[in-house]
Amino acid sequence: MLTNALKIAWKVLLRHPFYTFITLFGISLTLTVLMVLTSFIDHVIGSHYPELKRDRSLYIDRLMMTDSAQSSMSSGPMSFKFLANYAKTLKTADRVTVFSTPKSSNAYIGSRKIKVNTKFTDADFWTVTDFDFLEGKPYNEQSIVNGDFVAVITDGFKHDYFSEDDKSVVGKTIEIENVRYKVIGVVRGTPITRYFTNADIYFPYTVPKSNYQSGGMRGNYSAILLAKSSGDMMAVQREFQERMSRIPKPGVEDGFKYAVLEVKSDSFKEYALNTIMAGNPGARVIFYGVITFILLMLLGLPTINLVNLNVSRMLERASEIGIRKAFGAPIRTLMWQFIVENIFITFIGGAIALVFTFVIIMLINTSGWIAYSDLTINVSVFVVSLLICLLFGLLSGVIPAVRMSKMNIVEVLKS
Amino acid sequence: MIRHLVKLIWNKKRSHSLLIVEIWASFIVLFGLVSLIVYNVSNYVEPLGFSYERVWSISLDNNQDTTAIAEKTKRIFQRLKSYPAIESVSRMSINVPFSTYYNGNGIEYNKKNVQVAFYITDAHFAETLNVTLLAGSWYKQGDWVGKYRPVIINQQTKTELFGTENAIGKVIPTANKEFWRVAGVIGNFKAKGEFMANKPAVFVQLDESSLWDKTMLIRVKPGTDAIFEAKLIRDIALMAKGWSVEVNYLSEGRKSQYNYTLVPVIIFLIISGFLLINVALGLFGVLNVSITRRRGEIGLRRALGATEGAIARQIVGEMWVLATFALVLGLLLAIQFPLLNVFDLAANIYLTAMAVAAVVIYLLVTLCALYPGLQAAKLQPAVALHEE
Repeated sequence: MLTNALKIAWKVLLRHPFYTFITLFGISLTLTVLMVLTSFIDHVIGSHYPELKRDRSLYIDRLMMTDSAQSSMSSGPMSFKFLANYAKTLKTADRVTVFSTPKSSNAYIGSRKIKVNTKFTDADFWTVTDFDFLEGKPYNEQSIVNGDFVAVITDGFKHDYFSEDDKSVVGKTIEIENVRYKVIGVVRGTPITRYFTNADIYFPYTVPKSNYQSGGMRGNYSAILLAKSSGDMMAVQREFQERMSRIPKPGVEDGFKYAVLEVKSDSFKEYALNTIMAGNPGARVIFYGVITFILLMLLGLPTINLVNLNVSRMLERASEIGIRKAFGAPIRTLMWQFIVENIFITFIGGAIALVFTFVIIMLINTSGWIAYSDLTINVSVFVVSLLICLLFGLLSGVIPAVRMSKMNIVEVLKS
Repeated sequence: MIRHLVKLIWNKKRSHSLLIVEIWASFIVLFGLVSLIVYNVSNYVEPLGFSYERVWSISLDNNQDTTAIAEKTKRIFQRLKSYPAIESVSRMSINVPFSTYYNGNGIEYNKKNVQVAFYITDAHFAETLNVTLLAGSWYKQGDWVGKYRPVIINQQTKTELFGTENAIGKVIPTANKEFWRVAGVIGNFKAKGEFMANKPAVFVQLDESSLWDKTMLIRVKPGTDAIFEAKLIRDIALMAKGWSVEVNYLSEGRKSQYNYTLVPVIIFLIISGFLLINVALGLFGVLNVSITRRRGEIGLRRALGATEGAIARQIVGEMWVLATFALVLGLLLAIQFPLLNVFDLAANIYLTAMAVAAVVIYLLVTLCALYPGLQAAKLQPAVALHEE
């Protein structure tokens, strides 16, 4: 029976190529947009190189201070000392890394100028993250204690600075802002969307200009807390928050009198959401409103379009329906036929969308729009899209089918 | 004619309801898209208010060095002035044009509160960035007397604080017991680039012995290259050991601000474009189908003497009536945006967007109805009625 329904479906598709084209256009457009969108969201918040342990990482990025009148607020990254005191010593965490926010700088070779992002990190940075070392090795505790002038660079920077791709550059020196550093490792670069770990050059935090000596709570450092397992994250969060609550309040920092002091230790998803809201509760409502609206339009418009076309075209097949009904086909069989037809065309649309998505993602990855971008169609994205696909087929199949089943045989056969 | 068409549509309102919803949704998407474009275009056509070509910013950070910061900064400033490749030097706060830094401040005058972008600059700012004054003059060294600190305001600040009054010489009290005396008024100042709305801005005279606000803006001679830049950085590093020195071209900052606005708009434009093509194809398909269904009716009208034009007009006219129904519903929703002031945009942006979106919808439905309409007009009454 299914093969029969599929056979009819195939014939129906070929009968009016133009209408089939319209239907496929709508389905594949919507699915492509949805899949590229989910792929991009996954690129930003999922666990990808070099932050492969995001499922058990907590990000500490901002210290927020509010005065007693709730009228002014000051927020920003913290000092190295603050994080070394409160985060590095957490007992429940597996490992903790403290590193500076990206600092842009320039490197000059002859008449060329290379813009670079630099980052000062501790030795744990290389264990919390999973960088691929193409050459050499990371710096360790010893180089940090010694204050060695060493650096880990990315393959992209190696290409720009040394202009020789095949030879190893470990042991060579680079000069940044008039200080010379020895290259001890080369890693595969990361996309700029991995804000916490992205840089072109990584230095041990004890080299000059890292400002790790600064006192006070505010500074230019962030931290990642790695829990032993994802189930352990709550415990780490609790311990950290307990420590934060012990900081005496009210107090004064850089001339700002604070009554409330808050440092969040969030999973990356929460961190990303909080960043978009920027501490404004009203923004959350607007943000969700806009997202819902876009999704509704994106899904709704092509669906209405399909339903519309299906409803109009159903009458085109009135004689077929009438004859089948007259020969005793139950409404169930007819409905089944139309639902199968719709799911069939939706899956064809889904396949086309998959190809389009693949092409678009390839284009984004190779265009250099985001350097090192690694957008992928992963399994979860594909399953979600397939489910949406199915929902689509049913939505645009059921309504016309219900309408059709109400038709009267005599009326249908009259024409 | 119109009454007749409305009646025709009204009689079949149930089967037309989905079409109306579809056109309504397209209108809403178009309205959002056009609002965004109109907003950005209306910002874009406003002049920037300064020139950024060949202007570099030099950020200085003293890091852990705490000795004689002000003196070193002054020496660096003097050294910069001595280079023949540098035409003009100005020192200012960290929020240089096109940077990601923003410094906001609320000021109050005669119970009028205005949120302004706040810049601390020295006397050479106007010269380095080619800012022209509409009234008064840019403050000079020695203009700062006691508690009266000279400030320059832009036209936007002037209108919001003083209306049509003459602003020069007005004194604005501030929270930290300092008084700002307006020394001059400039035109626009869109520090975040062409797409930024022209917002109020205030320039306050820099205290040259301050430990902060150490960013230098320099305008270099044409043809100055990275070799000079590297030399510049080496020279500064020798004068201030342990400091971070970073050079950025304002033109690069402008480009990234540009993309920051443009990329989302382009993505939205592409997606909406495909959505509308999709809708147009769908409408076209539905109309085509309905023409085949209405062959009998059309044949009868033709037989009774209706001209080809009359038939085509009927098909297109019906679509217009349908579109009008949808637009009325859409406009009812769209009008809420200026009424409730949802995104803090000027009302005329929304009104323009509504008008443009409505026109595009009418064009779209006309385009979709034209071909099926002409097909219907070509129908031979004999052939059509023969089938009945």
